Amino acid sequence: MPRTVASTRAPLVALGLLTLLLVGAALAPWLAPYAMDGLDLANRRAAPSVEHWFGTDELGRDLLTRVLFGARVSLAIGLISALVSAAIGAAVGAIAGSAGRLVDDLLMRITDAMLAVPRLPLLMITAAVLQPSVPTLVLLVGLVGWMETARVVRAEVLSLAARDFVAAARAMGATPTRVILRHILPGVLPATAVATTLAVGRGILLESALSFFGVGVQPPTASWGNMLYQAQSTMSSEPWLAIFPGAMIFLTVLACNAVGDAIGSAQS
Amino acid sequence: MIRFVVRRIAQGVPLLLVISLLVFALIHAAPGGPLSTYLENPNVRPEDIERLRRAMGLDRPLGLQYLSWLWAFVRGDWGFSYADGRPVLDRLAERVPATLELVASACVMALMAALPVGILAAVSRRFDRVTSVLAVAGISLPVFWLGLLLQLVFAGALGWLPSSGRAAFDGGDLADRLAHLVLPATVLAAALSAAWSRYLRRAMRDTVARPFMRAARARGLRERTLLLHHALPNALPTFVTVVLLDVSMMASGAVVTESIFAWPGIGSLFTESLARRDYTVLMAFLMVGSVAVMTLTLVADIAVYALDPRTRDAA
Amino acid sequence: MKRLLIAATIALAACGGDGARKPSVPAATDLLTIGYDREPDTMNRYATHILEDIESCVVEGLVTNDETMNIVPVLAAEVPTTENGGVVLRTDGGMDVTWRLRPGVRWHDGVSHTSADVKFTVDAINKGDWKPESVDGFDRISSVDIPDSLTAVVHYREVYAPYRLQFVRGTLPKHLLEGKSIDAATDYNRKPLGTGPYRVVEWKTGEYILLEAAPGYWRGAEFPKIRRLLFRFLPNTTTRINQLRSGEVQMVALVPWDKVRELRDDPAIRLNTVVGNGYEHVTLNQRHFPPFGDLAVRRAMAHAIDRELIVKTVLDGLVTVVNGPIQPLSPAYEKNVTVYPYDPVRAQALLDSAGWRKGVDGIRTKGGTRLSFTMITQSGFAIRENVSQALQQQLRAVGIEAKVRLIDGTSISSVWFTGDFDAMLHWWQQGADPGITLFFAGDRMPPSGRNINYFRDDTLTGMLYASDRTADEAARITLLRQAQRRLATLVPELPLYNTSKVDAVPTNLTGFTGNPTNAGPFWNVWAWQLTAR
Repeated sequence: MPRTVASTRAPLVALGLLTLLLVGAALAPWLAPYAMDGLDLANRRAAPSVEHWFGTDELGRDLLTRVLFGARVSLAIGLISALVSAAIGAAVGAIAGSAGRLVDDLLMRITDAMLAVPRLPLLMITAAVLQPSVPTLVLLVGLVGWMETARVVRAEVLSLAARDFVAAARAMGATPTRVILRHILPGVLPATAVATTLAVGRGILLESALSFFGVGVQPPTASWGNMLYQAQSTMSSEPWLAIFPGAMIFLTVLACNAVGDAIGSAQS
Repeated sequence: MIRFVVRRIAQGVPLLLVISLLVFALIHAAPGGPLSTYLENPNVRPEDIERLRRAMGLDRPLGLQYLSWLWAFVRGDWGFSYADGRPVLDRLAERVPATLELVASACVMALMAALPVGILAAVSRRFDRVTSVLAVAGISLPVFWLGLLLQLVFAGALGWLPSSGRAAFDGGDLADRLAHLVLPATVLAAALSAAWSRYLRRAMRDTVARPFMRAARARGLRERTLLLHHALPNALPTFVTVVLLDVSMMASGAVVTESIFAWPGIGSLFTESLARRDYTVLMAFLMVGSVAVMTLTLVADIAVYALDPRTRDAA
Repeated sequence: MKRLLIAATIALAACGGDGARKPSVPAATDLLTIGYDREPDTMNRYATHILEDIESCVVEGLVTNDETMNIVPVLAAEVPTTENGGVVLRTDGGMDVTWRLRPGVRWHDGVSHTSADVKFTVDAINKGDWKPESVDGFDRISSVDIPDSLTAVVHYREVYAPYRLQFVRGTLPKHLLEGKSIDAATDYNRKPLGTGPYRVVEWKTGEYILLEAAPGYWRGAEFPKIRRLLFRFLPNTTTRINQLRSGEVQMVALVPWDKVRELRDDPAIRLNTVVGNGYEHVTLNQRHFPPFGDLAVRRAMAHAIDRELIVKTVLDGLVTVVNGPIQPLSPAYEKNVTVYPYDPVRAQALLDSAGWRKGVDGIRTKGGTRLSFTMITQSGFAIRENVSQALQQQLRAVGIEAKVRLIDGTSISSVWFTGDFDAMLHWWQQGADPGITLFFAGDRMPPSGRNINYFRDDTLTGMLYASDRTADEAARITLLRQAQRRLATLVPELPLYNTSKVDAVPTNLTGFTGNPTNAGPFWNVWAWQLTAR
């Protein structure tokens, strides 16, 4: 079907937005107008103004600064956890798809079991137990996000494995490992890319949900999620404290999903 | 068929055991535990704490605690809540209706939106372009942000709807119950309807692209007829399983929504129990949630297996 | 489609109740709806682990604390003291306390309240298997005599200074619970039999408890004036305050300080502030972080903190700065203690002369140790998270690094109980009795006490134990005042501010006073009235 101009524009905008966010987050220490933990007790809860584009929070800290530094944490959690999920998921999916029935069954039942356990409650309990640092949090979010990727990869591997070129490679004497690495994995990459992009959004949403219950990233470290958690109590009088971080989460996840969709439909 | 079912059940049981073991270890590794509230009280002496520890069985080795818990659990004895001493089964059961009401309403709302939108999006490209943006937005919204915003606007600023709870105390007529239901159900339905409309649209389009459709097209059938009379019925069975699965996961995942809207269901029971380290309730919650999803997954797989012979070859 | 549905439902709801915000006062003045922050675990006052607000409406004590912290009799005819002969010191070192009960008081089932119930309560706690949460002092009672139905003589093995509050939680009804296991007495624990102004009508788990006026209340048929009380359980603070503002609940006790702003301008709500009986402070664990053992360091930290500014800004001026553990409202309060005003210059000087030199990163070191520690505090309290960060900034200005770590409520108790922390932003809610031995005596570190500064001063310890061993209130107060002065010079912890209690009540509620002690704001609920608007 012919691609119209409109349908290519949206994902490009999304991609552009994501790049902007990443660059902004990376350069936060230089871009931020104020110091990260610069309290200004005399100037608390100021509405957005020329000095403070996003206003200030309960302790007089500049919200734009915190949003920029929060981006580092939230994006890092989203991206790295997605990579962790991708690695685990691709491995599980590839093995399941190309190994024998028994191994496939076992792996798929494990996947089903992990999908069955309620994700957010499980993470909440784990976070309450471990009271994790940011790196541990990344690992935990990654550990509950691989199942979707595994399923997708397995399906791709199965369909690829049935194809002629794989049979041909086998006929030529290639070992199963070589078949996987040289022939199947490259074919699986697009599907993995899609699943991973979507996992970024999911990871960011999970982190913000955890922080909403106070078991995610702990203050004073800023993350978009825990800024929302802190803004909860002041939503009616200082809505900007909740609107800006929430909007950032929304936009980032939206962009990830849009890009993921675009890759997905580009395949077909 | 029977063999398939038996095999799947046989595989599922040990996995549930593994899940239960991990969850048990996790919860008991938590610093604090149900005795922590006593520590805050300056009047409770160390002998008292020891006595309570023994009474609660918390001094036995962990493995023993797990096994005794497990044996009781499978026989239907889910223990007593540390918070108020009542049977866990009772505490869970009395909250289930509220969650069911919420999830069912959200499901109905979502379907009423997703079905027409999904189908129309598959049929009409113009419609699709508009709604696809909304749908992507729908699945990207942080649940609690939406909840707080709706609460702020509709309950706070406009005052049209109650901000939380399930019903007014002495009221409870249908209009009041509906009014309390609107906001939390909308929050849940937003993400669901977005996801489902996208799924339906994609499923229908995918089906249309399949080889067997080419034959139908070659016979001269219009795109719309193909979609509505062939792709839709084809996509519906798996759509139903997707809906079922999402709903079963939503029940325990509605933790956030129930918290914001003070909805007295099992989600808010979970948050309260977590705050109090009420082990027995937390264990039961996770186990019940997992079993429910695994059962529904099995049902869905059986349905697909039975309905679609081709999947049997791949299995 | 979804939009249509929502609009339709909104329209329906709008028709249902005239659309606008519900009025904050119901048409009748006989129902008061209270937004309560948690569901009780049990209605048994002795067994509950939380505050007894709801329970105290049903089960009355022999005494209670009024809004000025004085102990006033309720079911007792008067409070026994050495002056009125109610307290007699025996030659063997013990004491006898005679409780004379108010005549004409009946349990809600009509049976008379007598001294037999007092004796039954003591026996149930001391002799039985039942070991509830709140049993302080009962273990020092050797026996109870009941010469007549309105007199109970309690024999203590030793002098027990807080004897007046021994029965603040009231009595268990002997005729109902004798011979039964109290833990398993679910009926009593859900709907207790009491003598108070209210009785439990319904406890809908997860949602609310409904109380209604009990007939035959001993204060008179016209009390209580409000016929029904509904306690709705709303653990989520934002939800609770929202419901208060929308009128779905009319009263909220203990409004968090950061919510006060939202309620100040609400015409239907009156904010009642009482100076509290608790205080926030920074605990300095000398055992875990040895530099805290240096008096100069502690004094420097005290000077480095600008408490007035924190109170004025972070706390919106809702609390007052205090300088010790005993609060201004207490009869034992000592005002003239050493105060450490905000003086960062002095702080720096103290640290310099103690040998703590500033390093390149601005943090002081001495002999290889950096003056850098972790300050923990409980998560989930926005105000405390903010206060800890303000403290962090102020300490950094004088070269001390305090890293802030949040720990959630159930875990934090075991952390400080095991002493596994450096410093902690903490608070103690004091009991009505002014004793502080538990917190500062040298031999009362956990697990035998709550001396979590792990600090020891023999002179102070001596003063504290002496104060416990006298039943003479005047002597006790003198000793406690000495102890407070010594505490202030040693400054083992950094007192910050008093935790005042803010309650939000409807403007047409009369008779409400609030209460700084654990007796809670419902201590005089029988006297409240909702006037028509």
